[in-house]
Amino acid sequence: MRSQGKSAIEKVFSRLTSKDAHSGDFVWASPDMVYVHDVLGPMMLDSYRKLGNPPVKYRGRTLFVYDHIFPPKDSASANNILSMKEFASLNGIESIPAGDGIEHTLLIERGDITPGMFVVGSDSHTVTAGANGAFGAGLGSTDLACLLASGETWFMVPETILFRLQGKLNRFVTGKDVILNIISRIGVDGANYRCMEFRNDGGAHLGLDERLAIANMTVEAGAKTCFLPPDVSHEKLTEIQSDEDARISEELSVDLSSIEPEIAAPYSPGNVKHVSDLQGTEVNQVYIGNCANGTLTDLKEAAEILKHNHVRDGVTMIVVPATRNIYSKALDLGLIKIFLDSGAVVSPPTCGACAGLHMGVLGHDQVCVSNTNRNFRGRMGDPTSKVYLANSYVAAAAAVEGKIVNPQEVF
Amino acid sequence: MGRIFVFGDDIDTDVIAPGGYLHLKIEDVKKHCMEAIYPDFWKEVSKGDVIIAGKNFGTGSSREQAPVVLMELGISLILARSFARIFFRNAVNVGLPIGTIADPSEFKAGDIAEIDLEKGVLIRAADHKEINFKAPSGALADILSEGGIIPYTLKKLGKLPDDKR
Repeated sequence: MRSQGKSAIEKVFSRLTSKDAHSGDFVWASPDMVYVHDVLGPMMLDSYRKLGNPPVKYRGRTLFVYDHIFPPKDSASANNILSMKEFASLNGIESIPAGDGIEHTLLIERGDITPGMFVVGSDSHTVTAGANGAFGAGLGSTDLACLLASGETWFMVPETILFRLQGKLNRFVTGKDVILNIISRIGVDGANYRCMEFRNDGGAHLGLDERLAIANMTVEAGAKTCFLPPDVSHEKLTEIQSDEDARISEELSVDLSSIEPEIAAPYSPGNVKHVSDLQGTEVNQVYIGNCANGTLTDLKEAAEILKHNHVRDGVTMIVVPATRNIYSKALDLGLIKIFLDSGAVVSPPTCGACAGLHMGVLGHDQVCVSNTNRNFRGRMGDPTSKVYLANSYVAAAAAVEGKIVNPQEVF
Repeated sequence: MGRIFVFGDDIDTDVIAPGGYLHLKIEDVKKHCMEAIYPDFWKEVSKGDVIIAGKNFGTGSSREQAPVVLMELGISLILARSFARIFFRNAVNVGLPIGTIADPSEFKAGDIAEIDLEKGVLIRAADHKEINFKAPSGALADILSEGGIIPYTLKKLGKLPDDKR
């Protein structure tokens, strides 16, 4: 009799440790790739100095990405990047050219993150790797310093919560709505410490950009990592996803056709409501773009709404293509002209105001509809400001009307 | 002896260490700790103080500034019904003692209490009431008892920290 099957994440840790890994095991492992950004990077270098600046022992690939506060907003943020570049060149670490884009979107686009890999990053949204069938987990800066110095770090092999996707998405409904819907069902700690694995049943298929939106916010349900079926052969998929007889801690069905445009109201990504419940809420800012939702699909969706419309007086609309390549394609397709002509501001790729860093930070009592991933108190700026999380259609429609509306109304 | 500060559920890392200050030094970040919900927190807290919170403490970002500012301000123990994954991990790694409790309502804000990390108990000075907590175990307890993953890693690499040479 063959032994019990493995979950996808058990397969990963079995490969990394060359042992039979099970959920609940405590293991030391060396991930396939590490990437570090400019907000946690300088703290990682502080920790590395405390370790006595040893030679880098980690043998996987290490990438430094300068995306959070780029272009730098002040000399402190400029010096942070300089310190990382100096460390990178002294230690033979690869720097991604600054301005190329936001790490989670960019590293999939560049082909650095591929199906089946296990990657760690200095960012909680490293889970976004799951959009391309890789396993990503966020770590802190001291963790990463010790990983580079010693070659390994610790993990608890997580349990798996399996989501079976069925049906097709309706018009104006996107991956963002799928994940908001799921978070509303399981709560903001509903997947804490676990791997959220998705499976397509009954003809369901989601493109990479929809998968990015879903994977990105699994951390908003507490997930350690996630996995969505990538665009690979059936054989490859069978190899990397959970076996049919794997131990699964919980299983849920998601009927994609039953989902409507959702909004997460302040101050929690789990405070999810239907657009109709918030109809008429006044808005001063609209923000499109982050590590999952500055994709070409998002820009096309926003442009569909703005093509024959204008951003309402008194509303600031900011569009942030996630990568240089997406920006360039949007330019070729005429989307950037649509944004400029409609009165929107187009920003270079950066994490920007999504995390309240720069380029669109909110002031007192301002209300923003954003297609980003967090709406905590003060997330995008002043503690009195409010952020509503929604898909790009809903966000663009709010820019046109100056209030939350159903995108159908302005199309 | 320390004072108890009480917080609710889902206290997130943007509240603990707001994004707008993360590019600055810890001394600057700590003045904004909890500012969206408790602006004077950083002034009131001092060494030996304890945070008691509800579920999912530290939800959100991987920013290590979150446990570090709390530790820098003097927080010596955080007890919560549960912790978000990365905050939990970062707290262990930087050597900030944490533990889980079943009922956060047993103590009130302003209570004075003594911490006994070895026994896993918090004792209220006024009536000697004890609250038992579950601290990390196994290798994580070893990391914590070494004072965090830096001294732990130095030991593993066969080195002594600079200040112990």
